[in-house]
Amino acid sequence: MRDWQALVEQRLAALALGPQEKTEVIAEVAAHLEDTCEAMVKQGITEEEAVQRALSQAGNWRELKRKILLAKKRGHIMQKRFRQLWVPGFLTLILSMLFLTVVQRLGLRPRIVSSGPDAISLYMPWLAALPLFGAIGAYISSRAGGSRGTMLFASVFPAVALMGAFLLMFPIGLALEGVTGRHIDFGIVAATLLRDGIGWLVAPGAALLVGGFLAQLLLGARPSSRDAAIG
Amino acid sequence: MIAPGIKRGTAELAVLSVLEDGPLHGYEMARRIEEQTQGALRFTLASLYPLLYGLEKRGWVSGAWETGQTGRRRRCYRLTPLGRKKLKPIREEWEELFRALRRLHKVSHA
Repeated sequence: MRDWQALVEQRLAALALGPQEKTEVIAEVAAHLEDTCEAMVKQGITEEEAVQRALSQAGNWRELKRKILLAKKRGHIMQKRFRQLWVPGFLTLILSMLFLTVVQRLGLRPRIVSSGPDAISLYMPWLAALPLFGAIGAYISSRAGGSRGTMLFASVFPAVALMGAFLLMFPIGLALEGVTGRHIDFGIVAATLLRDGIGWLVAPGAALLVGGFLAQLLLGARPSSRDAAIG
Repeated sequence: MIAPGIKRGTAELAVLSVLEDGPLHGYEMARRIEEQTQGALRFTLASLYPLLYGLEKRGWVSGAWETGQTGRRRRCYRLTPLGRKKLKPIREEWEELFRALRRLHKVSHA
């Protein structure tokens, strides 16, 4: 009787799974090979030959390991991405938007920088609070094991989301032009986007990024930061 | 001879279909698929288990260790309600493709 368990264990030793999961995979593959070998012996093939054929059926063991790992970890990677990026990112977005609403409800006026048609309006109390929200996003991402890149992306997520919304104005403008038949001057749209982009994207993005960097500095080189699924 | 690329596309359908009749362990699944397709579809270790683990992750099949009549423990897979639900559109898609190919064949031989 062959010790299939030992044969497979030897070949799948470096399989990077949890101990129980790895034991189960090894036992399952060993059982499959045992059944394959037995069927061959029943067909009249010598045991030695059947063992060799059964083992060769696995093909490249390194490739088998890679495929198993990929299949087993796929859901895990999705969960990780959700916890490390989407949860902190959306939380930062919600917090910053809620705070902006509070600032506006309180009747605080934006500070106008420069004058004339190119005036840039900045909500100073909002901008002052954004590093805190950026730091919260980066901290939550770090707690979930996010890499440095993921932490920073989670902290600037509100600015990225706003940029997406700004960029949507072009296709919407094109669609409106098609529906209404009125010509829209995209030069004006671009100038408006550029002007408002400073107040709504660049300045908030920089403030959030400062928070993200500060959180990284304060948290130091956490071991979890090296566990990079994404970013 | 069916090309490997086409076989890969049908692998999910083959596994889900064979599990529709009842729970099976990996070796038996591969054997039945080979037998029922008269050797056209053949699963190796490297193609079967990653696929099964992927289907399990998605919740389409569930695996559990069971002791057979011979006293051996084998991990048996069964189709989950979600897997059963997913099998229907996959099967319809393939049937549609086969119908389309048959139509194409008829046109080219008309």
